[in-house]
Amino acid sequence: MEKILLKTDKLSKSFSSGGTLQHVLKNIDLELYKGSFTVIMGASGAGKSTLMYALSGMDKPSLGTITFGDKVISGLTPDQLAIFRRRHCGFVFQQIYMLESMSIMDNVLSAAFLVNKDKKAIIKRAKELFQAVSIPEETQKKFPAQISGGEAQRAGIVRALINSPEILFADEPTGALNSKTGLDVLDTLTKFNGQGQSVVMVTHDIRSARRGDRILYLKDGMILGECLLGKYKHGDEERHRKLSAFLKEMGW
Amino acid sequence: MEMRNAIESSLLFLRKWGGNMEKYFLIAYSNIRKVKWQTIATVVLVFFAALMLNLWLMLSMDYKRNFDRYHDKLNAGHITLSIRSSSPDVKQFVSETLEKDSRTAEYGIKDAMAASGSFDYNGGNISTELIFFNKEEAKKHKIEKIEILEEGSQKSGIYLPVIYSTDKNIKIGKTINLKIGNKTIDYTICGFTNSVMAGSHNCGFFAILLTEDKYKELEEKGYAEKSYFVPARMKDKFGSEEFEADMKDQLSKAFPKIYAASNSYALISSSRYISQMICSEIISAMAFFITIIVLVVISSNVTNYIQENMKNIGVLKAEGYISRQIVFSLLVQFFGITFITAIAGAGFSYSLFPAINTMMVSQTGIPYKTKFLPLPFILAVAFISGTVLVVVWFSSRRIKRIDPVVAIRQGIQTHNFKRNHIPLETTNLPLHLALAIKTTFAGIKQNIIICITMLVLSLILVFSGLMATNMIIDMEPFINMIVGETADSSINIKSSYREKFMKIMEENSNVQKVYLYNSLYVQHKEGSVLMASISDDFSKVNNQDVCIEGRFPKYDNEIAIGVKYAREKELKTGDVIIFAADGKEAEYIISGFTQISNNLGKDCLLSSDGYRRMGVLQEENYYINLEEDTDIDKFNKDTSKKLGDGMVSSVNISAVVQGTGKVYVTLITIIVAGIIVLSLIVVIFVMYLLVRTMLNSKQKDYGIMKAMGYTTGQLMLQTAASFMPAVIISTIIGIAISSIFINPLVALFLNGIGIVKCTFKVSLVFNITAGAGLVLFTFLAACLLSFKIRKNTPRALMSGE
Repeated sequence: MEKILLKTDKLSKSFSSGGTLQHVLKNIDLELYKGSFTVIMGASGAGKSTLMYALSGMDKPSLGTITFGDKVISGLTPDQLAIFRRRHCGFVFQQIYMLESMSIMDNVLSAAFLVNKDKKAIIKRAKELFQAVSIPEETQKKFPAQISGGEAQRAGIVRALINSPEILFADEPTGALNSKTGLDVLDTLTKFNGQGQSVVMVTHDIRSARRGDRILYLKDGMILGECLLGKYKHGDEERHRKLSAFLKEMGW
Repeated sequence: MEMRNAIESSLLFLRKWGGNMEKYFLIAYSNIRKVKWQTIATVVLVFFAALMLNLWLMLSMDYKRNFDRYHDKLNAGHITLSIRSSSPDVKQFVSETLEKDSRTAEYGIKDAMAASGSFDYNGGNISTELIFFNKEEAKKHKIEKIEILEEGSQKSGIYLPVIYSTDKNIKIGKTINLKIGNKTIDYTICGFTNSVMAGSHNCGFFAILLTEDKYKELEEKGYAEKSYFVPARMKDKFGSEEFEADMKDQLSKAFPKIYAASNSYALISSSRYISQMICSEIISAMAFFITIIVLVVISSNVTNYIQENMKNIGVLKAEGYISRQIVFSLLVQFFGITFITAIAGAGFSYSLFPAINTMMVSQTGIPYKTKFLPLPFILAVAFISGTVLVVVWFSSRRIKRIDPVVAIRQGIQTHNFKRNHIPLETTNLPLHLALAIKTTFAGIKQNIIICITMLVLSLILVFSGLMATNMIIDMEPFINMIVGETADSSINIKSSYREKFMKIMEENSNVQKVYLYNSLYVQHKEGSVLMASISDDFSKVNNQDVCIEGRFPKYDNEIAIGVKYAREKELKTGDVIIFAADGKEAEYIISGFTQISNNLGKDCLLSSDGYRRMGVLQEENYYINLEEDTDIDKFNKDTSKKLGDGMVSSVNISAVVQGTGKVYVTLITIIVAGIIVLSLIVVIFVMYLLVRTMLNSKQKDYGIMKAMGYTTGQLMLQTAASFMPAVIISTIIGIAISSIFINPLVALFLNGIGIVKCTFKVSLVFNITAGAGLVLFTFLAACLLSFKIRKNTPRALMSGE
């Protein structure tokens, strides 16, 4: 029995645009499991990012509940959600979103010191993570604008993982990268997932989606289908075939 | 044909120009919409700068001219003498002397009565030389007309100068208790008058009109001496002091025993406008400071605009706009806003001016009718708009160097990668403080604006503290600077009663100290008439600070003279100068310099033996310090009873100080309150601009940090704290420098009234508390203004929604 990490019940999200209400997410019931690599796919405007931001407490749902462990987070105040995020979530963004005025190391430490006061332990973990994503020490001292996109995104993963979050949310993490560096980032995510890190990734790229062990397909704010790839090894042709068939079925 | 071509080309130019202008307006309008709140804050600062500038220009350019307007209207004298004599010889001598003098244009010799007198005013007392006129006779004056401004239906009574109508007890129909010499008479107040040269205690004497019956009554009682009132107009008003000095000199030579009080146009046109001068100086300083802040803020706005719109500028350039056109659109934007706001600010100053006028009139005593003054208005608007144009032009020159391709590709590159300040890996500072200081290091421009604002505001606070400490809380330092010497009581006796008086004083246990302190006029032979303060022993006087250089006169051949006058005449200590009084001349060595602004710096100190080398003290005036809680009026009355005919007059100096000083205290209190409120408004708007600019430029960073788990409160504190290093450092420096230089600065402001060296007490406790208060206020303002962070979700902040 897989352990449920996060659960939604009739999750809905609406936005008011030009005087009309747009229902972006509609009554979504979903469970995310510990240690899983969940990929949310769908066409543009399907509500993928909105769902991810709602799940991660970055945005509040309009209706429905989100339960993390045994705690309902959908009713928390913005500041309570901030505290929830810093303790339980890590984020990797398509645009990387590093703080431009800080060095790479400071970007990571500014997230870490917010949660943990053990400076030595944090610096040790940061260095291990940097080593794991192949970012040398001299690069750690540079500013985001001075390093490549791939390096910055890997640094972003270090920042997301520094507090050992229970879930790592990744929003199109390879979207702004070329194929080589994108592959490196996916390898990094896969590697950490292999070590037990739960990952939720939004993508519309099949190559990225193949890394997941559970694919959710979103259409018009609803989960249209689900594909489980966990039993196939990474790189297996069968894994690719199954995903392609699933996506074809979904109308991709 | 040529004409037609010219018209066609002109029309083409105008069409093209008009079309271009439309484009510039569109760009400017779009820019303003993008930063509407920053625009509103800039508008508020420009509004206050224009308001203060116009107030200052109105006060300095027109307010004092009102004196000249009334001087002309009332055909007032350029010198005025009040001679306590009814002798035809004196009248003939004065007439001949004035006729002979080529400077005289016209003159009049009017019958009057004169006496030292006093009455209750402003919770204190007014004591000066009073000149009584028969109202019906006074109406016939051709020179030095006395205008009746307000009049009741009362048929018998007194008309007072309008300045005293500011006291709630001095109103038409009420009774005033007038003390003439050591006698008192009650008069019903019939009305109020305006006289330019004899309309306030600042003139040295003032005119009182009595109805015919009351005038006769006073004449019969003999409380006041019959006298001549002599106003004389000059062909050229410049040199009125010399003319006055010559007249008095000749009169005292011919009639050494006759007492004459006098004044001149030069003296009165300044002494009646001391409050206007102080107020004008303070408002000018505030206008100047706020204008500096406006210019710094606008310069920063332009630089921010360029940074935040780098890509747009690149696009405009790529579309074919030349740099000059983009710069011009900025000029249109800022000039337009400034010009319209400056007009509004200068216009609004007219709604404040009546209140300022009321304050001023309570000291000048000359009515002023507020009217639109085009020149100050144009100058205020032109100055603000012009300086803004120059600053915008200088700040936007960078646009010329922007390469469109680079701008479009790279957009904004604001961070300096030379150094990572406060690395989190090594610092021991708390996280939020370290992050705040990182932001501080990243914002050089914001730090410059903060530093300039805080330095200016620190100076304003220190100035307010100085005024509060030395004028509002304790009036004594200010009074000492203005009048030189004060005591509890002043008693004027006939010289022959000296021994009896001293014995009475010795026997009275309430008397702490008695010393001779006479004020008389003496003539500097190569200069002006100076007010001489005469004492038998200057070591006894209460205000030992009056001699600011050298020492008090000790021997009969020594004199200490006003420092301002000495500088004008290039006199040094040790110089020998000749003085005349009562028709006699004597040489004196300058032993020191004094500073009293009572006579606008034209004063001197002489020992009684020194004065006796020239003249005789027929009456002796004694200053008396009394034990605390002594009833001064009762003391004066008792002394009068005991001394009998020997007593000429007595003055409750404490009450006089209270009465005359209250006007200044009220004025300064209002000014200090006003500038503190204005300073706080400036702080709020400057901080608003800075915080909004920071929120805009760091919008993405706040989003990232919120996503990382930073709470709104933490980000607000970080934002507010990032301003604090600059705020704290500049406030400390500002308070320290201002505390050191505030006295010389105030002396510079008050130079016009004879102040060269200011020795006001600088309250460090007040300054430190005020500085801490300013820092705290700025921090709280920054916290509140950054509250906007709360409204945005991290997702919206990151995507810039």
